[in-house]
Amino acid sequence: MFESFAESLVEAFGQVTYILPQVIVLIAALLAPLLHFATKDGKIVAGASFAIIAISAILVMIMMHTVTYGTAFGMFEFDPFSSLMMLLFMAVAFLTIMVSPVHVETTKHAGEYYSLIAAIVAGMMFAASATTLLAIFIGVEVVSISSYALVALKKNDPRASEAAVKYLIIGAFSSALTLLGMSMIYGVTGTLNIETIGAKVAVMGANWAFILGCIGMIAGYGFKIAAVPFHSWAPDVYEGASTPVSGFLATASKKMGFAVLFKIFFALFVIGSTGVFTLEFQYVFAIIAAITMTVGNLVAISQSNIKRMLAYSSVAQAGYIMIALAVMSQYATTGALFHMFTHVVMKGGAFIMVAALITAGLGEKIEDYKGLAKRTPLLAAAMMLFLFSLAGIPPLAGFTSKFVLFSGAIFVDGAVSMQWMWLAFIAVINSAISLYYYARVVKTMYIEKPACDDKIVVPAPFMVAIALCVIGVIVLGVYPEILLELCDKAAAALF
Amino acid sequence: MIGILDYVWLVPLVPVVCFVLAGLFGKKTPQGGGYIAVAGAAIAFIIAALASIDYWTSDYWANNQAYTVDMTWMMVGTFEINFGVYIDSLSCIMMLFASFISTLIFIYSIGYMDDQGEKKTRYYAEVSLFLTGMLGLAVSSNYLEMFVFWEVMGLCSYLLIGFWSFTHPEGDEASFRASSAAKKAFLVTRLGDVCLMAGLFILMYMVGSLDYADIFDNAAILADKYGKLLPVAILLMFAGVVGKSAQFPLHDWLPDAMAGPTTVSALIHAATMVKAGIYLIARSFPLFVQCTDVMVIVAVIGGVTAIYTASMALNNMNIKRVLAYSTLSQLGYMVLALGSGAYMISLGLEGGEHAEELFLLGGAAFTAGVMHMVNHAFFKALLFLGSGSVIHAVGTEDMRHMGGLRHKMPITAYTMLIGCLSIAGIPIFSGFWSKDLVLEAAFAPYHHGFGDAGTIFLILFILGMITAFMTAFYMFRMWFMTFCGKERGHCHGESPYNMSVPLIILAVFATLSGLLMLAFKSFGTYGVLESLAVGFGFEFPFHTGGETIVQIFKEIPTYIALVLAIAGIGIAYKLYVATPYDEEAFKPENHGALYNFNAKRHYFPELYNWISWKFGAGIAGIVNAFDKHVIDGTVNGLSNSACGGGDGLSAIQTGYVRDYAGLVVVGVLAILAIFALIFLYGGGF
Repeated sequence: MFESFAESLVEAFGQVTYILPQVIVLIAALLAPLLHFATKDGKIVAGASFAIIAISAILVMIMMHTVTYGTAFGMFEFDPFSSLMMLLFMAVAFLTIMVSPVHVETTKHAGEYYSLIAAIVAGMMFAASATTLLAIFIGVEVVSISSYALVALKKNDPRASEAAVKYLIIGAFSSALTLLGMSMIYGVTGTLNIETIGAKVAVMGANWAFILGCIGMIAGYGFKIAAVPFHSWAPDVYEGASTPVSGFLATASKKMGFAVLFKIFFALFVIGSTGVFTLEFQYVFAIIAAITMTVGNLVAISQSNIKRMLAYSSVAQAGYIMIALAVMSQYATTGALFHMFTHVVMKGGAFIMVAALITAGLGEKIEDYKGLAKRTPLLAAAMMLFLFSLAGIPPLAGFTSKFVLFSGAIFVDGAVSMQWMWLAFIAVINSAISLYYYARVVKTMYIEKPACDDKIVVPAPFMVAIALCVIGVIVLGVYPEILLELCDKAAAALF
Repeated sequence: MIGILDYVWLVPLVPVVCFVLAGLFGKKTPQGGGYIAVAGAAIAFIIAALASIDYWTSDYWANNQAYTVDMTWMMVGTFEINFGVYIDSLSCIMMLFASFISTLIFIYSIGYMDDQGEKKTRYYAEVSLFLTGMLGLAVSSNYLEMFVFWEVMGLCSYLLIGFWSFTHPEGDEASFRASSAAKKAFLVTRLGDVCLMAGLFILMYMVGSLDYADIFDNAAILADKYGKLLPVAILLMFAGVVGKSAQFPLHDWLPDAMAGPTTVSALIHAATMVKAGIYLIARSFPLFVQCTDVMVIVAVIGGVTAIYTASMALNNMNIKRVLAYSTLSQLGYMVLALGSGAYMISLGLEGGEHAEELFLLGGAAFTAGVMHMVNHAFFKALLFLGSGSVIHAVGTEDMRHMGGLRHKMPITAYTMLIGCLSIAGIPIFSGFWSKDLVLEAAFAPYHHGFGDAGTIFLILFILGMITAFMTAFYMFRMWFMTFCGKERGHCHGESPYNMSVPLIILAVFATLSGLLMLAFKSFGTYGVLESLAVGFGFEFPFHTGGETIVQIFKEIPTYIALVLAIAGIGIAYKLYVATPYDEEAFKPENHGALYNFNAKRHYFPELYNWISWKFGAGIAGIVNAFDKHVIDGTVNGLSNSACGGGDGLSAIQTGYVRDYAGLVVVGVLAILAIFALIFLYGGGF
């Protein structure tokens, strides 16, 4: 049944089939303002956006199931990797859209809000599937520019305006750097197709312009993934933005940065096998990874605002995922992709929890969570699961994915290697350090006396979203195979 | 063969189902899910017993093989992580005593936790999960699976130690103590876990698999191939044991863990948690015996822990803390025995004329460690539940407010007396046999002149002897202070039947478990040692139970230990029964510096605090400041962000942009510098 459906799709749309999911999401972006104008009801807009993105997600799944992979216009490739990333972005979008209508910080401008979210998702999907530097750049820019507006949409909060302006300036810098890097590489190789670049450099050898180009892109996308020292915007932006948006940016936007980095650098250094400077760039990534995870974790210890703490913990998680860039192996990439998914359920879950509690009238300070276990036992238990999963306590998802990711530093393509053992050790030590600040929140929730004994009630959509994340945290931890195989295939598509 | 062995995976599964059931529906059942937890533990025990009988009558056992079944848990590329069961005599013994004692503790809990109201549900759900952790650990077929259950236990202990964190029966201060104790236990054991995980990564690098079977079969090859790396891996794994089984210098979390309900202490000390570390050594024996030097370190840590922590029990006034220190000390014994056994076998593996004798003595030492673990489980569960019964009746943990209770609560008093006799090492009682074997194991390397470390083992043996004396003294000090002399406080009388019956059953086992195990061929530890013998072409020699008993009574140290134990009991009698004492005698100012130094636990809590606050928080603070001032480059904006950014926008327009621009340059230059450095040093580190 699905096969014939996929065939008729290809017949009807030709190459466009392979960007059809993105196009559908774009339709949601265009429809949202219209719907809001017509109905003036934020919930309807949310429902419609949700439905349209769901159609796109189902389409992606059908195309994956029927192996309908291909390239559109030589620019966007629908393959196991890009399709998996699309699912990830859309999953985050679902969680965000689900809770946004009932969230207290939500703006009156529902049309713009959902339009921007859909535009960001479409941009991410384009970026993840792009095969040329230009297409990647445009996809990322769509995401960036929409994100600035999304952060600024929480208009009555000066923190949000500050964050948005910071985000804009930093984003502009990073775009400039990226563009500079890309143009240098174009100048050296005369092509924008990343695989051709790899092949060309393999023939002619790398020179310093090529290296500078690569460094420009590392720095530019380093901002996107919030790698140290390009992370300073992240805590401010996550703190300033409305919480579902923070969660959206922390879980999805970062993953797009990684998707792009994986695409570009694996194509340049592994498939294209530049041969020259591969090891040097691996060590550059390894050192950035080690510094990023260490700084993220240590700084998170001294945060008192939970959103800032989660922001720094995201910085640390980015450091873990960067292990894949250092090792440049299929195994590690599988681990990284799997960790991105588990990160969605655990970090996304934590942000949704914070949003839910803000809606219920709690503050953002960790001390506001005192005695939460008494006031809302179920939510406190869920939060504990998210935090312990982030800390990597088995049998939760965070442990399983971290294990695969860290062991990727030891198993390099079917053989064991001592080369990156030190990185695995630093990662293990870091995830132990991280327990300290997560356990502190748990301690606050479970052990300290609450300021008042009122029960906390949160709107039903929050409960549903949190329940979904809890299920994800447990199921992905206990039975990782359901996703691991897909991640393995996706990673294979990159090499 | 009756086929139950194929269902042995049910053993850890049943309690986890009970965890879910008790958690979801516990509130609606009588006792808040208590009966669900009891039923789960009992069913787990029955299945474990049937499966063990099945194993012990099967061809696997006759051929000294482990029964293993694996299924793929994770598969990445060609690398596969399994989830399965690995059953040999060691795992059988582990699951048997863990589930049996847990069943009794859960029954006892129904009486003990009766007045806890709605919180009972949480308690029974958590203890069920705790039991899952232990049983899962016992049947795991690879190190990663084991690690998962190992951490599940750590998590449960965290939750259970902090059980009274909101509403401690003794008020706010105790409540706060409970919370910090829970956190301390979690973080300190986690320190060990990190090392264990690092060790496992090295193991994975060396073997390419974490399955027990793969690792044990290749242990000898590993030792040849990775002469320098293997000791590191084993030391890291042992660091995990030091954390989990609370060995020196990570021992200090266990006494604090007394802040939880007494039943939880019993569970942690007797059936689960701290036994996991001992189990890890026993399970990894084929690997550990490859490193002679590391095993000396293991034995030394065990010996030092034994005497060091016993000394802290000498003048403690809290009945549960005395028991906690005695657990630490007994765990030290177990580690000492296993370390010494592994040391002797590792010498035996080098060959030579004494090889066979070394294997015999090493095997006996291994047996001593495992047997002491089981015996200790029985008598320590008995002692803890007994102390719980006392606390239940008098409402305090301070022994200064007890006394003369044997008339009011005879069952508790005399069952606890059996526990004390057993731990003190009085003949016939279970502790006597295993403690004696432990001391003999420590003595053997010196006695027979094996290896270069003979003197070290002589010292460890003497320390062990002194510990035996101390143990007898402080245990009977506890018993005399609690049950003899004049009454000093109010007492509700004997505890209900669901509390006293478990005590009686445990007392029977605390008396007989030693003899029972001696009666069983080779103490059921065959399978582990057998895999050492791969490629040696001979079976491991073993004393039978009867030979062992004869052996015990032939050795002179046996009698020395016995005299020391009786002397300890005598001195305790002289000090606490024969001469009446009053409460003034216990005031700190009436004592010397040594007494108070001891009472302060040698300032270990302060040391931990100093490390975590001054050192840990200090580093975090420095990095944070660095992040704010240097990386962020926003010295001026600091006050703004602290004030909530009211005038943040203007700050952006003036200071921030320049700073961010600077930041970009710094970042790019840093990457360039890293690249250049790596390039100049030829890509190598």
